[in-house]
Amino acid sequence: MSRALMDTMAVTRLELRRLFVRPLAWVLAALTLAWLGWSYTLLLGSFLSEQVRLAALPDGPGFTDMVTVPLLAQLVELAFLVVPLLTMSALAGERRSGTLPLLFSAGVPASRIVLGKYLAVLVWLLLWLALTLAMPLTLAHAIRLDWGKLAAATLGLVLLFAALAALGIACSAFASHQALAAAAALVLTLLLWTVNQGAQMAGVNDGAINWLAMSPHLRPLLHGLVSTVDLLWFVLLTVVALALATRRLAAEKGRD
Amino acid sequence: MTAPTTTLPPVLQLEHLVRHRAGRPAVRDLSLTLDRGQVLGLLGVNGAGKSTTLSMIAGALRPDSGAIRIHGEDFLEQPELAAQWLGWLPERAPLWPELTVSEHLTAHGRLRGLRGSALNEARTRIIDRLELQPLAQRLAGVLSQGQRQRLGLACALLHRPALLVLDEPANALDPVQVTALRALIREQAAAGTAVILSTHLLGEVTAVCDQVAILHEGTLRHHGPVHEGDHTALEHTFFSIAMNGNETNEKAHAA
Repeated sequence: MSRALMDTMAVTRLELRRLFVRPLAWVLAALTLAWLGWSYTLLLGSFLSEQVRLAALPDGPGFTDMVTVPLLAQLVELAFLVVPLLTMSALAGERRSGTLPLLFSAGVPASRIVLGKYLAVLVWLLLWLALTLAMPLTLAHAIRLDWGKLAAATLGLVLLFAALAALGIACSAFASHQALAAAAALVLTLLLWTVNQGAQMAGVNDGAINWLAMSPHLRPLLHGLVSTVDLLWFVLLTVVALALATRRLAAEKGRD
Repeated sequence: MTAPTTTLPPVLQLEHLVRHRAGRPAVRDLSLTLDRGQVLGLLGVNGAGKSTTLSMIAGALRPDSGAIRIHGEDFLEQPELAAQWLGWLPERAPLWPELTVSEHLTAHGRLRGLRGSALNEARTRIIDRLELQPLAQRLAGVLSQGQRQRLGLACALLHRPALLVLDEPANALDPVQVTALRALIREQAAAGTAVILSTHLLGEVTAVCDQVAILHEGTLRHHGPVHEGDHTALEHTFFSIAMNGNETNEKAHAA
């Protein structure tokens, strides 16, 4: 195993351990999954009551459109709040508690610290996604699922989580306090989500500002449309955020 | 033609280190060497530049200029050397409060590249040596200051470093623990580890150090060997430097 991989895995394992022994991650998981479970029950009830009518339509929406995609859309909204709370202490917390220099003194470069912490948060988020997806999948044997659409929506969620986690880690790298990191990540996420709304209200639908916004890149994926441009947008945001976090952390050794 | 030399390079070489903090020079043109098995005491009043110096040696701060060599290798160019060769106990031993003592040692071992049986062996050895067994499953957040210091020391020693950097290690330790710490430092030095420790306590230096370096306003003002029973002479030198910035002006201290 290469030194880079060993360092990154060591940081990831340390961060995962810290995530799983702190109550915050468990409370967030319990509350959000309870909410998603309740939403799933309501969506399922609505689908079952409409099922006969929908079946008569020639190209009517199925279980995936009526239950799974709306459920995942709720997960997206929850992620806007959950991800900043999960990432806020990743670096800002270490800085405040004085443990960040310990990682440097073990010879771990800033890039591996950032990547290790990022991967730990991503693992938690993917488990969260898996538990949410398990709800509709429990009926897969009884109901016809649109597997292609589900795969595209899952890909969209994975990319969204990857980008939001990177953004949260970057905010944590720049902020002096955890609360500031969470607030900055939340505001930036909402800004990215809504940055094109003013332009759209003015009737501009294909300007650069629309390309900048997150929602036009996620919605097609949630509805089963995969395009390279959308995938690239999320990859680009992730890479830029992680690069900024690394740069900021590397500069830490030179700061007063 | 000269025969190739087989002399090993010093464990630590500091060459003209300079570091500013908050716009002021914290360390100025500091050069030092430390050989295998030597114990160097770094003395100075608050703000003299001791912690800044140790943080640079530990790789937590980058010098503005100068070089740090460990076993002759450029540490600033290859910070990953720290994983194997360097152990650091910062002031007030920062810990992750939600992790147990045992988990701390596991995490530090992994960060130093230890895996599997090597990690288990190192953890067991250091737990036994520092008598941490009763605390092994206790969360770091509930440890007393002295216990935190012992855990910090255990993390620094886990991977048998060639250079041990201790920043005020006797802080918050009771007299029994201080005696045990001195024995541990001596034991490490006897095993070949180079040790550099900063302290406010002159007794600490005369008890465990072979050499002493006195910093004043970031500048090295005195560097020399420590002899047994040297406490009074060292005290005069220290106070002379602390009060006048000059080790030769002892009259001012006496006055």
